[in-house]
Amino acid sequence: MKKTFSIGGIHPAEHKTASPTITRQPLPMTACVVLSQHIGAPAQALVEKGQHVSRGECIAQAKNFISARIHAPISGTVSAIDNVTMPNGMSSKAIIIKASPEEHRADTEARELYWQRTLPSATYPAGIDAETVRKFIAKAGIVGLGGATFPSHVKAAPPEGAAKILIVNGCECEPYLTCDDALMQAFASQIVGGVRLMLKATGAPQAVIAIEDNKPRAIAAMKHACSSLNNIKVMVLKTKYPQGGEKQLIEAVTKQRVPSGTLPIAVGAVVNNVATAFAVWQAVCTSMPLIERIITVTGDIPADQQRNYLTAIGTPISELPFTLPKECRAILGGPMMGRTAVRLDAPVTKGTSGVLLLANRMRQPAKACIRCARCVDVCPMGLEPYLLGTYGRLRLWDEARAAMVADCIECGSCNYICPSSRPIVDYIRIAKQRSK
Amino acid sequence: MESKFVFSPSPHIHTANTTSRAMIHVLVALVPSIAVALWHFGLPALEVLLISTASCMGVEWLVTRYMLHRPSTLADGSAALTGVLLALNLPSSLPWWMIVAGAIMAIGIAKMAFGGLGCNIFNPALVGRVFLLISFPVAMTSWPMPQSAFPLADGATGPTILSIFKEGAAGSQLPAYTDMLLGNIGGSMGEVSAAALLLGFAYLLAVRVIKAWIPLSIIAGLAIIDLIAGFPIIPDILSGGLLLGAIFMATDYVTSPMTTKGMVFYGLLIGIITASIRRWGAYPEGMSFAILLMNGCTPLIDRYFRPRRYSPKTSKAA
Repeated sequence: MKKTFSIGGIHPAEHKTASPTITRQPLPMTACVVLSQHIGAPAQALVEKGQHVSRGECIAQAKNFISARIHAPISGTVSAIDNVTMPNGMSSKAIIIKASPEEHRADTEARELYWQRTLPSATYPAGIDAETVRKFIAKAGIVGLGGATFPSHVKAAPPEGAAKILIVNGCECEPYLTCDDALMQAFASQIVGGVRLMLKATGAPQAVIAIEDNKPRAIAAMKHACSSLNNIKVMVLKTKYPQGGEKQLIEAVTKQRVPSGTLPIAVGAVVNNVATAFAVWQAVCTSMPLIERIITVTGDIPADQQRNYLTAIGTPISELPFTLPKECRAILGGPMMGRTAVRLDAPVTKGTSGVLLLANRMRQPAKACIRCARCVDVCPMGLEPYLLGTYGRLRLWDEARAAMVADCIECGSCNYICPSSRPIVDYIRIAKQRSK
Repeated sequence: MESKFVFSPSPHIHTANTTSRAMIHVLVALVPSIAVALWHFGLPALEVLLISTASCMGVEWLVTRYMLHRPSTLADGSAALTGVLLALNLPSSLPWWMIVAGAIMAIGIAKMAFGGLGCNIFNPALVGRVFLLISFPVAMTSWPMPQSAFPLADGATGPTILSIFKEGAAGSQLPAYTDMLLGNIGGSMGEVSAAALLLGFAYLLAVRVIKAWIPLSIIAGLAIIDLIAGFPIIPDILSGGLLLGAIFMATDYVTSPMTTKGMVFYGLLIGIITASIRRWGAYPEGMSFAILLMNGCTPLIDRYFRPRRYSPKTSKAA
């Protein structure tokens, strides 16, 4: 039997219909580069209004250790450093770069050359040491591309000897999204190269690339790519949400559970996304900073528009080619944990894994809890969502804390399964905040 | 840009399995038992069924409309289900006004007075049944003997297997297993045919509306006491309200525990209490009392039996 995590979990309809072929989205004429697109302190701008920047140049530096550099996704002139409105309606400071037609043409040519020649011909740098890899990762501004956007150089520097296993997350357990699947099919050898570099950086003796069994082509490609290496293995997992959750994935792969309130390194695990591994390869072997990522565009749109796009960071989401349903939920990320956007003229950031357009299916009004225990069955953290939700609703913060509300990973499984459509996670989020 | 996007917190997708769908599944699972009841007890059984269902729905509608001033909750199907279950727990010869009294007790007191669907501590249909059993013991224990092919009137009354046991004349008078399976024995409308109930059980398991833990542990609990008391286990399982209670009453979501361990504990105790009442108590049957007793313990069971947590231990900092 295939491995998976042992507590709870759900299996919603997969809808993984977006084509795994990667289409290169044209570079934008204007890029809006947000300074806070990672967990930690916002980056500090290094450029001024009116200054010329070239593609790949560092335009903002990491403010402290838990922060990340940001690079120019296009060449052009800095037209403003100002607050812009993010998809959720909040404002955030950003560097706005405008390209001239000549610069745009030159960038496009350089980009084609990179993807067609430079990247495929890059080879593993023999004799590279851990410190150099970590420096490259920090220099390239790499953050966790699975959605959490935690600065990768921090994860790449665990305490000496603490890392026992590097787990590379290719689960893509969210329905609809196929960006990791597409990446694994197209760039398997580069991902494996990135994994080798990360093994070097973390000092872990072995790596496991975990992929759910609903991605047979990605599994075949990755198995082929690491067949000659005996310290990197592909592990096929049974498809179950939220397998890509760090704690669930660690348990699925190592059978060990991360104690409450500690980090994965407590059980010797370091978890990184496949897209992060690919970015590490690009950074170390082709000196390419993180200025592009793959985004799935899918949902209730025509089948030929459901695709994966290689998109420059800073591209307005609305430039991606899709016809908007009349009234819809525009979700950035997957349907289980993604956030809805109120506007799509906002820019793509390092953490944008998908644009999911769901025709407006309003939530059903909440009905009475009938204590069916489905939420308890599916909670991957072994909590009692019905109880935590009630504590949140009744403002019983101490009781919520005692019932381990802090362990909730907000995966949404309880909310998904509830036959009475109760907004359980909403109440739990409040309880989590207030009981801190 | 004019916003035409719906803003909502995650998750954005939702299962199609709703509360009312679960109620419909339970009603479908009861179809074989209803059919057997109609075959053996005929027109009087149909009357009990209709009066019970209509009065349960009527009481709920009146309470929501004139006492709570809230929108009707009939659409969730729970009142109709309570009505059908109450009917199946009654003898077909019960006069109509007793059924209505039972419905008022079940829906009005046991359910709506506690706050409606999801808030009741005790199973409404069983509260209705036990209320009738205590108030009208003669009418509630006069069991018309089964006839065949939809009779138009009640047959002569006779004893149930359990009362045969109780009077100590076991053995010679016991009906054959085939009669127990097919319902050719005396008893409440819904409890006579073990085969029909088991068919409903299989359906509920197949559509994943209930899990097998509670029914199986009830049977296990009953078997433990039977072994101690040296009593034949199989007829004990097939007789009285055991299967109807184990499959349809004790598994009621609202009044049963939330975790697997809790369900097993709850089921075992129901089985043990039922068998103890049957063997050593004053009543020939104890299923309803056992379930109601354990319904009352459910909040405590939920407190004690917590789910298996992911985290090995709680950190003090959290």
